[in-house]
Amino acid sequence: MKKIYLHPLPIRIWHWVNAGGFIILILTGAQIRFGNVIHLFSFETAVDIHSWTGFILIANYCIWLFYYLFTGNIKIYIPPLHHPVEFAKKAVRQAKFYGLGIMVGDENPHHSTFDHKFNPMQQVSYLMIMAALIPVQIITGLFLWDPKLFGPAINLIGGIQIADMIHVLLFIFFSAFIIVHFYLATLGHTPLAHIIAMFTGYEEEHEEHEEQGHSEEHVHSH
Amino acid sequence: MDDRKKILISLFIVLMIFPICMNASAGVLSDDAQMCLGCHSDKNLTKQLENKEVLSLSINGDAFANSVHNPINCGGCHTDISMENHPQIKKIKNKKEYTANSSKTCSMCHPEDQLKTKPTHRTLMDKASCSECHGAHYIKKLAEWKKGISEAQHCLTCHRYDLSMTMKNGEVISLYMNELVFKNSIHGNLSCGSCHIGFSKTEHPTKTFKNKNEYLSGASKICSMCHTDEQLKKKPVHSTLVAQATCIECHGSHTVKGITAQKATTKDTEYCLSCHKHKISMTMKNGESLSVSVDEAALRNSAHKNLQCIECHMAFSKKEHPVRVFKSLHDYSTSSMSLCKKCHANASHQYESSIHFSLLDTGNTKAPSCEGCHGKAHITIKATMDKSFGIKSCNKCHADMNNSYETSIHGKERAKGNEKAPSCSSCHNAHNVESTKMTTKIKEGCLKCHKNTEKVHNKWLSNPPITLSSFAGVHFDVVSCAACHSPNAGRAIYLSLYDRKTGKPLPQEEVLKMFETDSAGFMGKIDTNGDGSIDAKESWNIFQQLYKKGVTTTFMMKMDVRKATEAHQIGAKTEAIKDCEKCHRPDAEFFKDVFIVMKKADGKPTILNAKKEVLNSVFSILPVSKFYALGSTNIKLFDILFIVALIGGIAVPIGHITLRIITSPLRSLRRMGKGGKK
Repeated sequence: MKKIYLHPLPIRIWHWVNAGGFIILILTGAQIRFGNVIHLFSFETAVDIHSWTGFILIANYCIWLFYYLFTGNIKIYIPPLHHPVEFAKKAVRQAKFYGLGIMVGDENPHHSTFDHKFNPMQQVSYLMIMAALIPVQIITGLFLWDPKLFGPAINLIGGIQIADMIHVLLFIFFSAFIIVHFYLATLGHTPLAHIIAMFTGYEEEHEEHEEQGHSEEHVHSH
Repeated sequence: MDDRKKILISLFIVLMIFPICMNASAGVLSDDAQMCLGCHSDKNLTKQLENKEVLSLSINGDAFANSVHNPINCGGCHTDISMENHPQIKKIKNKKEYTANSSKTCSMCHPEDQLKTKPTHRTLMDKASCSECHGAHYIKKLAEWKKGISEAQHCLTCHRYDLSMTMKNGEVISLYMNELVFKNSIHGNLSCGSCHIGFSKTEHPTKTFKNKNEYLSGASKICSMCHTDEQLKKKPVHSTLVAQATCIECHGSHTVKGITAQKATTKDTEYCLSCHKHKISMTMKNGESLSVSVDEAALRNSAHKNLQCIECHMAFSKKEHPVRVFKSLHDYSTSSMSLCKKCHANASHQYESSIHFSLLDTGNTKAPSCEGCHGKAHITIKATMDKSFGIKSCNKCHADMNNSYETSIHGKERAKGNEKAPSCSSCHNAHNVESTKMTTKIKEGCLKCHKNTEKVHNKWLSNPPITLSSFAGVHFDVVSCAACHSPNAGRAIYLSLYDRKTGKPLPQEEVLKMFETDSAGFMGKIDTNGDGSIDAKESWNIFQQLYKKGVTTTFMMKMDVRKATEAHQIGAKTEAIKDCEKCHRPDAEFFKDVFIVMKKADGKPTILNAKKEVLNSVFSILPVSKFYALGSTNIKLFDILFIVALIGGIAVPIGHITLRIITSPLRSLRRMGKGGKK
């Protein structure tokens, strides 16, 4: 078993702030939207928390962006588009692993390193999320935060209803995503391996059969 | 005394006086008179009165000798003068007092009863002293005097005084005549009797009239003796006037000048008023009547007091008086607004964008023109001079709003005398009044006074972490002030159909044209399920149909009070709504009632019932893309999607875990095959 350094400190801070923020945003967002059935906070409090958290996450996003831009390590998010066929094959292989291989005890085709942290599926989804979905969610969130201030920009996309539609659809996506993301985080060699790694920065890498054996035991224990 | 003695004494007196009378009548002065004339024949003999007037004391002996009073000598009248004490210094204030006092002696021979027998003479006696009319020293016998003077002189003997005649209804007519003015008039060469038929040096009938009008009508009829009807009715305007006013009312009587002379010497306004100061009117084609008379006194106190008539009535002058024909009073009102526009261009321009103008323009006879609010141009005062002007003029049509205004905080403040408290125009604007269902200008009216509104609202209406006035402004854009500040009002959502390209409301007429229907058939055409209310699918159909016709529309939303009266019941600050959840909840009460509003060309809105789903259906995304209220207009489909996504998100791990559990024997076998533990 060897330890691989995967998550530098700024990224770990960013991740956990983001995780907490996402949960708060989802809860307060749900409160704002379903005020007649959810009674966690008053509307006013929900809006206040949502707005504060939103701005914290904007700042947090900037930490992530600046870190990866300044270190040049942003490349870990960029799929090797110069080898599209090879990348597609790897992605299919990874999907097959999650869909079938993990069931039959196949080895995870991707071995994370500092420079190749994400498997092809992660690479595509995280790039889409970090480069497109989160910025769009931030922008539409800002539009909803003060529709008058951003009036001209809102008009460009067709109106506040459109801004809200985008924001809500992404809210729906992120709500579902965060559940799946949490589940996938438990698919390390132990259920907590990835999660611990996100605290310590180091991921323990086992031999595949050992890793699978531990996972199964953990699954059985449930 | 026996009869014989009486006869002798009488005979003696007659024999003694007769020679004197004979001498006098022959123009022979008595010794006494000659003695007086010893001094008083001096033409320069005068006396200065207390008021510095100079009274001539000179007497023409010959003239006196031929007067009817020669026989009674000087002492007959000047009873207070005797040669023993004359000349005596007498203090006389003025000529008027002198003539009045000296005339008193006339009554010694001419008793008042006798003088007052004729009513006209009786009236005169109150106005002038005897000597003022008849003279003093040179009075001739009446018949002889009349023979020697012209008729005009005869009449003016009395009528140069401030005489008047009282009508039966109490009206008083002046009978005074200014000789000089008359002589300079076009009738100066006529004798009085030429017009005053029946009056002459010998005849002065006593006439009575019911009122001034009867007198003037009668007097004016005489004009037609010289000025024939045909001649007078030659010009249409004059023809109309002849039927409505007497000759004298416009032209005067003794002061009449030739028209050319009158025009040359009269100022424009004076000339116009010579007719228009009288009660004259104009008849419209539809029979309606319009007074075209001008109250000169009111005009002089009006906002237009410094203007000449022709400055507004530009087509008219002393030379020109075009005949104008209007279909109706409404037609007249519409066209007369152009007169105001000349000076009040800005106000007119604003008015032309108002609902009042739209209504007027589309033939609504009740819609106000300029005069509708400001009153007649000839009497209107500056609106700023009368603080109650706005309320008074608006109440002519909108009196039903007054009660609610008076009970509002604004009305109460005004009643207390606070002149800054808003009146109607403070909020609705004076000229560019719009339908309140379609405009956001009302808010501008509020903000005129409540200048720090955004800051005040920011104290509680802000979005952290940064407090921006624009956030409060978002609410001001779509929520009328009254919706929060009128505590007991009902609220509703009004969706107005706007042209997305122009950013202006789409006139209903245009919509009807594109739907190929009329206003009666419109609802039937869009309310396809016939439930009397527009649902989401139907609102989408409106959007789609118009889009197909090349117009991209959008529904602009406004929250407002249900009734116009409620908009005026503004309460105190403490009563205002501050609870966000009144609006921002899926079941918000204020969003229950929804209406679709379309502006007609006349500015009036057409209000159609709509369902709340018009705001929160997936069909609303494009038609209502410019509006979204957090928490209350959620698109329902997205709520379903959220539930599905949550279930999906949870189902994926559960499914995956389940499969992993099911497939765990396979992995165990594989591990064993690779030498792993059991």
